[in-house]
Amino acid sequence: MSIPKLEFPPFHLPPEAEALREEVRAFLKETLPRIETEDRFASWNTPSPEFSRELGRKGWIGITWPKKYGGSERSFLERYVVTEELLGNSAPAGSHWVADRQSGPLLLRFGSEEQRQAILPRITRGECFFSIGMSEPDSGSDLASVRTRAEAVPGGFRVNGTKVWTSGAHRNHYCIALVRTSGQHGDRHKGLSQILVDLKTPGVTIRPIINLAGRHDWNEVTFSDAFIPESCLIGNEGDGWLQVTSELAFERSGPERFMQNFYVLRELVRVLGRQPAKRAASVLGRLVARLWTLRQMSVAVAGMMQGGKSPAIEASLVKDLGTIYQQDLPEVARALAESDATTEEDMADFLDIAQYATMMAPSYTIQGGTTQVLRGIVARGLGLR
Amino acid sequence: MDRETRDMLLETADRFFTERCGREVVNGVEKGVWPADLWKEIEEMGLPLIAVDEDEGGVGGTLADMLALLRMAGSHAVPVPLAETALGNLLVANAGGRPATGPSAVALGTLTLDGNRVSGTVARVPFASVADRFVTVAGTGKGAKVAVVAAANATVADTPSHAGEPYGTVSFDNAVCEYVGASSVDAGRAYELAALVRAMQMAGAADKVLATAVEYCKQRAQFGRPISTFQAIQQMLSELASYVAATIASAEAASRDADEGGLATGGSFSIAAAKSQASDFAQRIAAISHQSMGAMGFTHEHILHHYTRRLWVWRRDFGSETFWGEKIGAACAKAGPDALWPSLTASRYAA
Repeated sequence: MSIPKLEFPPFHLPPEAEALREEVRAFLKETLPRIETEDRFASWNTPSPEFSRELGRKGWIGITWPKKYGGSERSFLERYVVTEELLGNSAPAGSHWVADRQSGPLLLRFGSEEQRQAILPRITRGECFFSIGMSEPDSGSDLASVRTRAEAVPGGFRVNGTKVWTSGAHRNHYCIALVRTSGQHGDRHKGLSQILVDLKTPGVTIRPIINLAGRHDWNEVTFSDAFIPESCLIGNEGDGWLQVTSELAFERSGPERFMQNFYVLRELVRVLGRQPAKRAASVLGRLVARLWTLRQMSVAVAGMMQGGKSPAIEASLVKDLGTIYQQDLPEVARALAESDATTEEDMADFLDIAQYATMMAPSYTIQGGTTQVLRGIVARGLGLR
Repeated sequence: MDRETRDMLLETADRFFTERCGREVVNGVEKGVWPADLWKEIEEMGLPLIAVDEDEGGVGGTLADMLALLRMAGSHAVPVPLAETALGNLLVANAGGRPATGPSAVALGTLTLDGNRVSGTVARVPFASVADRFVTVAGTGKGAKVAVVAAANATVADTPSHAGEPYGTVSFDNAVCEYVGASSVDAGRAYELAALVRAMQMAGAADKVLATAVEYCKQRAQFGRPISTFQAIQQMLSELASYVAATIASAEAASRDADEGGLATGGSFSIAAAKSQASDFAQRIAAISHQSMGAMGFTHEHILHHYTRRLWVWRRDFGSETFWGEKIGAACAKAGPDALWPSLTASRYAA
């Protein structure tokens, strides 16, 4: 039978990455207690410019980038350790996360020398934050259908259109927008380009979109005859689709896809006390085993990427399993706390934590590629389509 | 053995199992027919001695080599005690004994060893009724011993597994041992190693289930087209692939950790997590594969049940997800919330 083999070769993070882990832990232990955040348990989408600046001072933003752009020229695996430690210790890493994960790498790969010099060092210092300008009111999973148009005018582009679900646009400095620079709406992948948008540009209007939890993370970003200078085109005109797909790969494979609500598991351990009943211990242990497995898979994917492979299917499987795990976690934990919390007071507090996590859970299987779209990618890999 | 040698061995074994271990052999064992020729050839290839040193008459492979072979055997539903004999031989050799020929079973439970006599009862011993001898481990820590009892000195009550393999309850009544030796692997550790073996066999079986379901859905046409072209089927099989991937990844990671950490203690946490994980997802793997294959996959005629039934049996063998989950959960609770993340990144129980 000839289906592609699913392999996750066990991979050890190298000694220098493990050494860095200890440094990051020590830094977080010292730093986190003095950072105030809007979330009781912070994660990669909790903003804190103050924290990002401190992390930047350590050289841990853009850690893999060339030194001439403010980077530390360390390995992708060392970056992996930094990100998973931020998640495992509930650090408010939301301000710089997108810039570090995808915008910076995108500029490094496709941006002009001028763009790199102007932007990358500021990102690494934790002073310059990015939003993602992909989705539109009529373009979600079907990204190639974007309508926002950048029309060539002397010295640059006149941009009209609307982007939505633009996380942090009201706080961040830039957004990388996928726009149509030539051809017609029906041309799909052809004629798309990426532009660097200063969110303070006249003609760019940012309005909040409040999510179901009452939080303001998302925005609607409207372009009305906004002038974007020619120097802000990223890469070649018409290469937008190619570039955006490489950006999506960064977005899908990281530990944030199974570690976003790690605090639920940690707080569950707290509420069950040091000697839970057998059944409670068993349910807890099964959750721990699933998370351990996800981490092994994710580290294996990181190892394959470091080895020059592009394990797109494996990365999609990690996101699929990881996001479903994050949806199961608050549900299983809630039931367990109700039956096995050590005190009534602890239980009530934990149920509030779990309830908040439950409320956020639907987003996990939507952001960064819906489960159904990912499964379509896997199905293609299995030779089904 | 080096990577190349292992790959060659696996390739040879894959070919051999494909040719010599087909549907009729697996079904035959379920009807009580012992495939003597198959076993003889397996022994001639040296497979049960894969992890025994060459100067003791073995193949000279590592624990990891043995586990890789058993994953391969799992993907062929090999219905003879290759896993049990290979593990038994490894345990005996590690305790200073010399492995014998013939199929062995590994009887792990509460046993008392007095000199060279052993007493106690172990339920659901895989391949109990076809084994020439039983390898047991008694005692904990430095006092642990491996004891080998000839089948003639034990009583076996047949209790075939739900996959039709000859499991049985084994009783030793002050039974004389043909070998007793001090062992660095104690009773608890032997149970872990057996669980790891099962996790790898489950990885092999899960892989085969996915391949079987994918292949079937590409062939089977309904409404004028292969059912693999329906999005509903694509989504199901992709979900199936995610559970199979998790099973493979966790078992492989545990094998690596056990091998690198040494036979006596290596990868204790990882093994517990892997067997918990494999057992946890076995039901989803079976459910989705059967759903995708409809009535055809539910027949005895089809081979799918060779694998799905084994997944159901193997998840119960040597500790289910409930058993290993409890072990992990109790340890994590005892260590407290702040030790959880360091424990996960180190793949170790918190000190």
